[in-house]
Amino acid sequence: MKKITGWSLIRLYTIFVYVFMFAPIVAVILLSFNPEQFGSFPMKGFSFKWYIKLAQNHDILMAFKNSLILGSLTAVVVTVIGILAAIAFIRYEFPGKNALNTLLLAPIMIPEVILGVALLLFIRWLQQPKSFLLLLIGHVVITLPFVLLVVQARLVGIKREYEEAALSLGASPIQTFKEITLPLLTPAILAGMLFAFTISFDDVTATLFWSTASMQTVPVKIFGMLRNSVSPEINALGTVMLVLTISTPLLAGYLVRKFSRET
Amino acid sequence: MQHKIWRPLGLLSPALSAVFLLLVVPVCFVVVYSFWLRAPTGADIPAFQFGNYAKFFEDFFYPSILIRTIRVALETTVICVLMGYIPAYFFYKTETKHKSFLLLLVMLPFWISFIIRTMSWVNILGDTGLFNHLLIKFGILDSPLALLYNEGSVILGLVQYLLPFMILNVYVSLEGIDKSLTEAATSLGCTEWQAFKEVTLPLSLPGLSAGCLLVFVLTAGTYLSPMILGGPGNDMIANLIFKRVIGTLDWPFGSAISVILLGILSIIVFTYNRYLGIAQIFKSMQ
Amino acid sequence: MSKDLGKKIDSVFERYKNGDLSRRDFLKFVSITGAAVGLAGGPFGGLTSNAWAAKSIRFDGWGGTTSEAFRKHAFQPFTKATGVKVIDGEFGDMDTYLTRVKASFPPGGEFNLAHLSGLFDYARYVGLDLQVALDESKIPNLKNAMSAMTKPYRAITKGKLSAVPYDYGQTGIAYNTKHISKDKAEKLGASLLWDKDLNKKLGAFGDWRTNIWYAALHTGQNPNDIKDLKAVWNALKEQRKMMKKYWGSGAELMSLLANEEIYATTAWSGRVAALQAQKHPIAFLSPKNCYSWQECIFVMKGSNLDDAQKLLDFMLAPEAAIAVAIGQKYPPSLDPTKVPMPEEVKKLPAFDPTGKLEGYLFADPTYWNAKQLEWAEKWDRIKAGG
Repeated sequence: MKKITGWSLIRLYTIFVYVFMFAPIVAVILLSFNPEQFGSFPMKGFSFKWYIKLAQNHDILMAFKNSLILGSLTAVVVTVIGILAAIAFIRYEFPGKNALNTLLLAPIMIPEVILGVALLLFIRWLQQPKSFLLLLIGHVVITLPFVLLVVQARLVGIKREYEEAALSLGASPIQTFKEITLPLLTPAILAGMLFAFTISFDDVTATLFWSTASMQTVPVKIFGMLRNSVSPEINALGTVMLVLTISTPLLAGYLVRKFSRET
Repeated sequence: MQHKIWRPLGLLSPALSAVFLLLVVPVCFVVVYSFWLRAPTGADIPAFQFGNYAKFFEDFFYPSILIRTIRVALETTVICVLMGYIPAYFFYKTETKHKSFLLLLVMLPFWISFIIRTMSWVNILGDTGLFNHLLIKFGILDSPLALLYNEGSVILGLVQYLLPFMILNVYVSLEGIDKSLTEAATSLGCTEWQAFKEVTLPLSLPGLSAGCLLVFVLTAGTYLSPMILGGPGNDMIANLIFKRVIGTLDWPFGSAISVILLGILSIIVFTYNRYLGIAQIFKSMQ
Repeated sequence: MSKDLGKKIDSVFERYKNGDLSRRDFLKFVSITGAAVGLAGGPFGGLTSNAWAAKSIRFDGWGGTTSEAFRKHAFQPFTKATGVKVIDGEFGDMDTYLTRVKASFPPGGEFNLAHLSGLFDYARYVGLDLQVALDESKIPNLKNAMSAMTKPYRAITKGKLSAVPYDYGQTGIAYNTKHISKDKAEKLGASLLWDKDLNKKLGAFGDWRTNIWYAALHTGQNPNDIKDLKAVWNALKEQRKMMKKYWGSGAELMSLLANEEIYATTAWSGRVAALQAQKHPIAFLSPKNCYSWQECIFVMKGSNLDDAQKLLDFMLAPEAAIAVAIGQKYPPSLDPTKVPMPEEVKKLPAFDPTGKLEGYLFADPTYWNAKQLEWAEKWDRIKAGG
């Protein structure tokens, strides 16, 4: 009996946390259907006007594409680099480990304004123009701590013995990593990629400094809109993305079930 | 014996070289700048003097904002732990088929830009916002509550932003725990709570501490939340850096504040790595 | 062709002057290290593209409707007429942009034209030695601009121009007509922002200049020559206690007013016009010695002047200037006595039908720029409650 009450409290609490996290999201979604630019509640009507405008806004859609490309590339690169570094920290002993670990977490310790300007000063000193590659590596550096922390925390929990057993059975270190460590690391890798993607996708300050004119991302566009007013088209864009993200796994699950029943 | 040093360094080298090139070297520029002088026109004059640092400590203004920043960061971290651990535990224990979907939901808020999300709190907590609207409609209140533009609303915005990091960090750590361990504990006569306290909680500490570090450091460097959700007296240290570097182009002084902030955070993170960090927890587990 | 060559020689010389040799060696070293650790040249592979290779010119401006109007009425026809592509950048805000320009390589080299805030920023860019001298005979449409607007620029750059004036506006007072009567607002003027009835329903632009300006008006002083500074600080301290929010962007300003979070605030005229167009009960008050400002299109050192001047001429053409004005809701710099203005422009707040801008008080750039460091910091302290 006691178990059930405890568990339902946990469930209730989780629902409460979800409500809190989604409160501003719900407001954004509702206001994307508001015919007026500045919504207050109760809403004065319902319209798809911002969605139609968004579909015609080539500029924002281009920026959105840029954001997606940048976010995905960052996620892939940083996850590979982050896993390697995490293995070094957790599986090996070497001098200066603490200092190096602190150093790799430094990107989130420096305000992005400073990082943004400092990197510009550096490439000026090198007399190099900005480029997409610079932006990408910049994002990799910013997102590295997120991946590093989550992968390290998981790796600590994976028992050394599993790996050693595989090694003693004659597997090469690479085989061992592929067959034993990697599958056990999967949740952390997925979480890390998700972190990296979202941080990169949503980064304003540093991107503002590093991006070239042809590589504007959505947050940079939004920052530019702040002077006049942020168009609810941005709300509409967010809503479309939410719907796609929620519906894709649901739809996939439904299709899988349907086909498996038929065959 | 020698490969023992070279192998970890080889694994670290991509990360280290990226961080070295794009962070360490540029930060050296910041350190150099922090000794320079600024001309009234906005040009920078190379010099070596400690005036910028002296200015920071000349009276209580800047240090007090630094202290406030650290306090807000601590408060945010504690709230994130309280709000994040239980949902993560729920995901670990639940047997529903939709677990991965529920986890995906945690990251969904990121599709809405941080600026938009932060600004939309005005629509919820404002005088004419959803919350006050409902309370007045149901007769609970006569006039709206002033919920916005104070330290509370700044922390609220930060927690909403940072909670997913805490939840997922803890969850990933919990997921690595062998469930048979808690089963063994209960079969040996432990209550559910004792099993959690003795087995699950200690084993989830790596994720919890990683999440805490992330939340703390990110809060300490934030400027958008206080700017949008804060009242007149809620600026944090990063706001001042932003104003000095961007607003008045006073790079030397802005650099000096950044170096001070970086120094304090490095000490905190280094101490954490040394005494509370993942490697330390790892050792105590063995 | 010869021009490009000249530019390259210039740049080589610049590099030589800067003692580039050791830097090149450093770069080589970095690349080798990068390759060795598997980064294949680090972030610098493929970065060698020549910034001057493409025949293009860069313009940075406000995004949204302003950019759309420029693209349609100036950039596209310009590219059609000259074959030069306009790279259309956006800045987040004025200050961030200046920071980027200052940190670019060579200083200002990445950037050509920018839609800057007049006088104050014009003087700051000149202070950083980023100005050019425009050949006004190549910009025939400049004749249509109000001479009252070009005059202050000439005063800064010794008779020459490094920019053309483009639009103007005011930071006046916006108030909610449901809660504040017109009589009361007009009687109080700037002191409306110190009205005790508006406790915790007041807002203000967080910028140090605007706040000091209005405190000067409230204490009966000339903002361009403040005698009793102490009274200004005291007024600001008093006002801060009643303040709900110091906003930082037009988007915030509009949402605060539209959602009735605040009833009165200092406000940008164009944003108030946008609220009025959406039928919100917000009025714009322009008190005596209201803070007026103008914006210009600045040309940065190192730009191809021929192209820049041609582009400026396209941007000053009435169709483009009026379309931009309607988009951003600030009146154009064109003299309404020379160029007929549509009704939509005439209705904009701060619009001056006489084309002389008499009674518009602009901030004296020498006075304010000299005080910037000290006053901005003092303001931060007051704002923080010190």
